[in-house]
Amino acid sequence: MGNILAIANKEIKGYFASPVAYIVIGFAAILFGWFFVNLLYYFEQASMQAGSGFQGPQAVNVNEMLISPLFLNVAVILLFTLPLVTMRTYSEEKRSGTIELLLTSPLTDVQIVIGKFLGGLVLYAAMLSVTVVHLAFLFIFGNPEWRPVLTGYLGLLLMGGCFLSLGLFVSSLTKNQIVAGMVTFAVFLLFWVINWFASFAGPTTQAVLNYLSITEHLNDFARGVIDTKHLVYYVSFIGFSLFLTVRAVDSERWRG
Amino acid sequence: MIEVQHLTKRYGPTTAVDDISFRVEPGEILGFLGPNGAGKTTTMRVITGYMPPTEGTALVAGYDVATHPIEAKRRTGYLPETPPLYPDMTVGDYLAFVAAIKGVPRRERKSRVQEVMKRTAVADMSNRHCSKLSKGYKQRVGLAQAIIHNPDVLILDEPTSGLDVKQRSETRQLIKDLGGDHTVILSSHILSEVSQTCQRVVIINRGRVVAVDTPDNLTSRLRGEETLFLQVDTRGADARPVLEAITGVRHISPSDVKGDLVSYEIGSDPGRDIRRELASTVVNHGWGLLEMRPLRMSLEQIFLELTEKEGVPETPDGEPQSAGTGGEEETVHG
Ligand SMILES: Nc1ncnc2c1ncn2[C@@H]1O[C@H](COP(=O)(O)OP(=O)(O)OP(=O)(O)O)[C@@H](O)[C@H]1O
Ligand SMILES: [Mg+2]
Repeated sequence: MGNILAIANKEIKGYFASPVAYIVIGFAAILFGWFFVNLLYYFEQASMQAGSGFQGPQAVNVNEMLISPLFLNVAVILLFTLPLVTMRTYSEEKRSGTIELLLTSPLTDVQIVIGKFLGGLVLYAAMLSVTVVHLAFLFIFGNPEWRPVLTGYLGLLLMGGCFLSLGLFVSSLTKNQIVAGMVTFAVFLLFWVINWFASFAGPTTQAVLNYLSITEHLNDFARGVIDTKHLVYYVSFIGFSLFLTVRAVDSERWRG
Repeated sequence: MIEVQHLTKRYGPTTAVDDISFRVEPGEILGFLGPNGAGKTTTMRVITGYMPPTEGTALVAGYDVATHPIEAKRRTGYLPETPPLYPDMTVGDYLAFVAAIKGVPRRERKSRVQEVMKRTAVADMSNRHCSKLSKGYKQRVGLAQAIIHNPDVLILDEPTSGLDVKQRSETRQLIKDLGGDHTVILSSHILSEVSQTCQRVVIINRGRVVAVDTPDNLTSRLRGEETLFLQVDTRGADARPVLEAITGVRHISPSDVKGDLVSYEIGSDPGRDIRRELASTVVNHGWGLLEMRPLRMSLEQIFLELTEKEGVPETPDGEPQSAGTGGEEETVHG
C-alpha cells in the first residue's frame, strides 16, 4: 500500500509541477461552465413555459431537466481532457529512462499501475470538484434532490476511471507521448460514439453495442439509480484495462 | 554476493549476451570492461531485474532475480546509463521519492536523503529541479539515488561518463569508499578508470567473457612477449647488431638517441629471461649500462589485444573459442 501511495503521490506532484493539471482543470471549468449556462437557460425557458402552459402549472424537476443532462455532458469534457492526463504516464517514463528506476525498485508491476491510476484519478477528482461549485448554486437557489447528484458523481468517477485505465494502457504501448495522446483520444471517441452506431443496428447488436459504450452506463447513475449491472461493467472495465497495462509492461520487459 | 551463471540474453535475432558466468565476492569492486555494444548494459539490466534473461540465472545476495525479484531488488542499487531523474522534481523531493519506493522506513527517509546528498556532494542543489542540473550533478544525483537504501549490491553503468577530470576522480574515490560495505559492479570502456578503482576486471566483447582477473595479473598474463627497456652509453658505437645476436631477442624497436645515451625497447621470447645475458653483453663491450627494466603492457593495450583476438575469428555457435582466449575459461568461474 505504501508503495502504491508513493507512486500515486509522485504522479500527482508531477501533474501539478507541469502545466497538465492547470490546463485540464481550466479547460474542464470553462466547458462545464458553458454547458451549465446553456442548460440553465433551457431549464428556465422550460419552467416558464411550464408555469404558463396551456395544460396548467406543471412541476419541472431540476434534477431531471438540468443536473442529469449536465452529468451526461461531462463525457465530452473527458474525451478531450483525460488523454492529456494519461498520455505521459508510461510514455514519458520510457522515453526518459525513469522506467528503469521503477522496474528495478522493489515494487510489483501491479503496484506501479495502480499507483499511476490513482494519481490520475485524484487529478480527475480535482477536475470534478470544480463542477461542485456550479451545482452549489443550484442548492443555494433551488431545492434539488441530493441522491441523484451523489450517484451522478459516483458514475462520473467510474466513467472517468474507465477512460483513465484505457489511457494508461495506450500510454504503456509507446515511448511517444503525443502518439499516446492521439491514440487515446481516438479510442475514447470510439467508445463514445459506439451507441450511435447502435441506433442503426439490429436489436441484438444494438444491445451489445449499448452495453459496450462507456457513456451509456452513466444514464442510470445520473438519474439517481445505482444498478449493479453498471457497477460491474465499470469496475470490470477498469480492472481489465489495468490488467492489460500490466501485461504490456511485462512483455516489453521480455522484448527489451 | 553476485553470481551470474550461463547468462544469455537475446533481443529477437541478436544475441547481446552469450553464456556469461562470473561471481563477485562481498565487498569487492568488479570492473566490467568492454567496447560499445559488448553487452555490459544488458548484463547489468538482467542483474538488476529490469529484464529477464533468455537463459541462465543471476543471483543477488542468494536470491534469484527472476524468481525472487522483490528480495533481490531490495538489496540492489542501480545507476543506469542515463541517470533516471524526473525533470520536474527537485533533487530533495526526488531522493525522498526514491527512498520511499526502495523501502526506506518513513522515519529514516529525511536523514537518509540528507546523508546521501552529503556523501555525493549534491546538498547545495537540493531545491533545484533535476532538469536544471549540470551533467555532473545529474550523474551524482543518480549515484545518490542508487545508494539511498544502503543496498548490499551496487550496479553502476558507466558512473563517470560525461564528467570532467576532477569530478571523475572524486566519483572514483566515492566508489572506492563504497566498496567494502557494498559489493560493486561498475562498467566502463575507459580502462584507466577500471584499473584504478577495481580489484578485479571482467572483460567482455560481443557478449562473451574474454578475461577475468586482477588488473595486475591481466597485465602479466597477457605479456605474451616480454619487453625490456634498456638504456646504455655506447660512446657512439651501434649496439643493435650485438644485442640482436643474443638468443631470445625477437626484435628491437627503433632506438632513441640522446647524445651518447641510447635507449632500446627489446622484445624477447615469452618466458625467457634475457636480462643477465643482456647485462653481461653490454658490460663485456665496455659500454655503460644505465638502465634496464621490464615494461608492463598497459591495460589499454591488453584490452585492445584481447578484443582484437576475439574479434577476428568468427566462431560459430558451439565451437570452442579461439586459441587466444580459450585459456581464460577456467578463471571465469573463480
Ligand atoms: N533494446 C534492445 N533491442 C535490441 N537490441 C539491443 C537492445 N539493447 C541493446 N541491444 C543490442 O545488444 C548489444 C549489447 O548492447 P549493450 O547496450 O548491452 O552494450 P554495452 O556494452 O552497454 O555498450 P555501450 O558501451 O555502448 O553502452 C548491442 O549489439 C545492442 O545493439
Ligand atoms: Mg551500455
